[in-house]
Amino acid sequence: MITFETVTKRYPDGTVAVDSLNLDIPDGRIMVLVGPSGCGKTTTLRMINRLVEPTSGRILLDGANVADTDPSQLRRGIGYVIQQTGLFPHRTIEDNIATVPLLTGWKRGRATSRARELMDLVGLDPATMARRYPHQLSGGQQQRVGVARALAADPPVLLMDEPFSAVDPIVRAALQDELIRLQAELHKTVVLVTHDVEEAIKVGDLVAVFRPGGHLAQVDTPERLLGAPVDDYVRDFVGFDRGIRRLSFFAAAGLDLATDTVLPAGTAHADAIAAAKHAGEPWLLVVDADGRPLGWAAVAELEPGAAGAALTEVGLAPVGHTFRPDTDSLRAALDATILSRTERAVGVDATGRVIGTTSYERLRDAIRAAEDAAASDAARVQQTAGEAG
Amino acid sequence: MSFLTFAWDWLKTPQHWHGSDGIPIRLLQHLGYSGLSLLIATVVAVPIGLLIGHFGRGGFAAVNVANIGRAIPTLGLVILVAVLAGLKAVSWLVPLVVLAIPPILVNTYEGVAGVDPDLTDAARGMGMTRWQLLWKVEVPVAVPLIVLGLRTSAIFVVATATIAAYPGFGGLGRYIIDGLASNNYGEVAGGAAVIVVLALVVQAAFTGLRRLVVPKGLRLQARSSR
Amino acid sequence: MQWSWIPQNWTLIWQYTLDNAFLGLVAPLIGLAISIPVGVACVARRWIYPPVLSVANAVYAIPTLAVFVVLVPYTGLGNLTVIIALTLLSLCVLIPAVVDGLRGVPEPVRQAATAMGFTQVRRMVQVELPLAVPVIIAGLRVAVVSSISLASLGQLIGVSSFGYFFIDGLQRDFPTEIYAGFALTVVLAVVCDLLLVGTRTLLTPWARGRSRATGRSAARRAVTEA
Repeated sequence: MITFETVTKRYPDGTVAVDSLNLDIPDGRIMVLVGPSGCGKTTTLRMINRLVEPTSGRILLDGANVADTDPSQLRRGIGYVIQQTGLFPHRTIEDNIATVPLLTGWKRGRATSRARELMDLVGLDPATMARRYPHQLSGGQQQRVGVARALAADPPVLLMDEPFSAVDPIVRAALQDELIRLQAELHKTVVLVTHDVEEAIKVGDLVAVFRPGGHLAQVDTPERLLGAPVDDYVRDFVGFDRGIRRLSFFAAAGLDLATDTVLPAGTAHADAIAAAKHAGEPWLLVVDADGRPLGWAAVAELEPGAAGAALTEVGLAPVGHTFRPDTDSLRAALDATILSRTERAVGVDATGRVIGTTSYERLRDAIRAAEDAAASDAARVQQTAGEAG
Repeated sequence: MSFLTFAWDWLKTPQHWHGSDGIPIRLLQHLGYSGLSLLIATVVAVPIGLLIGHFGRGGFAAVNVANIGRAIPTLGLVILVAVLAGLKAVSWLVPLVVLAIPPILVNTYEGVAGVDPDLTDAARGMGMTRWQLLWKVEVPVAVPLIVLGLRTSAIFVVATATIAAYPGFGGLGRYIIDGLASNNYGEVAGGAAVIVVLALVVQAAFTGLRRLVVPKGLRLQARSSR
Repeated sequence: MQWSWIPQNWTLIWQYTLDNAFLGLVAPLIGLAISIPVGVACVARRWIYPPVLSVANAVYAIPTLAVFVVLVPYTGLGNLTVIIALTLLSLCVLIPAVVDGLRGVPEPVRQAATAMGFTQVRRMVQVELPLAVPVIIAGLRVAVVSSISLASLGQLIGVSSFGYFFIDGLQRDFPTEIYAGFALTVVLAVVCDLLLVGTRTLLTPWARGRSRATGRSAARRAVTEA
């Protein structure tokens, strides 16, 4: 746990970068510090490993004041990743990653094999990359090395200062996903600074929104930040389409999918019309023998008289977008529904077999249920906090 | 303090200030050799440097010219030309000009070639002709380095003019060479003292010139980036 | 040009080569040993550098012969005088080289090193100085080539060097000897220069792919400002 106790940073010329900050950063979580330029988020980060010293207040790391430890010793136990990577140009990738272990006295053999282990972990091939130099790598690869280097001595805390801002959006998304994946394996205490609120929401378990002048505006989960911004500043900062973006945090598994309008291709028209009438739906999803979707049949085009004629003989509208109820969010389901010609989206499993279909009505119900659940969760958390406090 | 005592005693003596071997004459000779050589070297080296810098070719050669210039032994060159051509004007002119060209050439080249490519890009984008680009953008930005090159050249030239006295030319070096030959340390010290003062004055003059001539915007920029 | 003179006087040539090489290499090496701590101090305390630089520039401007003369009363007419003078010259080139080299270390690299837990000393030795090597060697090249060339002036105060061939050649009106001395100086200087380039390549395996980019801007500054 990292604790900021009324920490202030004032510079000699009078600028106050951080003003009476109180913040708790829990263990094993990704805490994102986000805000516009000059709001003090980077200064706050750098006070944890004493690259900046506070003017007043204390910073506690697992209960101990960081000011009481020798700075070099402190830093060897904290990983640090910066935007420009700061990789040593004069050392190979392997040696770069092995830096802190070697600094703390590991034998070279052990440090090198640890470096190779980490290269695997961050998705770089040790066989080809280990003996290369930083300038021979792409920006994305360099940043991976930076992360590997920070993790080499297995520090419990990882500090990241705008680590992904210098790469293009596609690489950035990949690196963000990588971080999430790494965290699931390693459970480090991560403090990440960014000016990009989307990144904060995607990557953070907790998000601390800073105001200019070094004050905290709101500290909350991404979902609550989107759903319940505390004031206009946070609301503006978080940006447009909050409602839709919030749906990313609700699982599509909560959807009640329709199965009665899903019919095999060999179904006779008369049976199909009957099923549609019973369900009150103008569209029927036609699937093959394996359960994979073939297309939508418009009920209006079916002929009751044509006994024995299979559904496939009617022109089918394209399936449209599918989604995975087991792994996707309501946002993905909504998106698929909007994009679909028939205003219905198809939910499939990992093999591509149809589970059921959605509609705007079903989505509406699912959204409402998810919001109710979120609200009662929030209330419960408030109550527990109130009881504890 | 024995150097200063010797030098001061010699400089105090009034005879040393008169006649064809007097300090003023020798000083003028020295300045004459130096000034003319520097002028010729400038006239030769600056245009070449501007051209190769502007067209971005021959840079590798330019840098190596400077290295070779430094490797040439001044005493050897001065004596060689004197032996080959006798004690004519060309015999001091050639060595001095040869040694003065490399610093001016290299610095002019680096000054022009080192102009921020974004700057030349913007200038071309605005529709400047080659000529305008050279005179309005590249040269003004290159001026600090060019003057630096002139300063270095001036130092080399003053030093070489001192040595030119050995095979028999005039200038302030005369005192050192004659004094060493006749074991008159006073003369040697006195001559050296005047040379030291001259060298420092030349250094200061070019440093001052550089400050004067650097476009104000560049100077402010350099100061803020320090 | 009497080519036969060369094999006839081989022992003499070799002896003077060793003498000149000694003078021309010892001085820059002493200069390097002094300039590294001084350079580190100038980077650590920014206010030290401007006065140090001014003094270095002033000393550099003074003709080497005059420096010999100033030193003679204190250090005599021997190797020591020449070595001290050439060391001073080398310092004028090497201190700025060390400072520029250290300042050229990218800030993110320095910051990352601190953040990883390097102490200041370790960071200087393991990160900053190694990265400054290309610029320092560029300065060393200038110092070595200049020293080898200027060592020949030592002969004027009786210190054994290639200058012997120039002076003897002039006295005997024997141009072959002068050409020989000239060639010997340039060849020795070029050989040492190449050795230093080789050393740089050995010491900086990381710069091999992009030697054009890093080496040039470093060498540029060393060359233009000396």
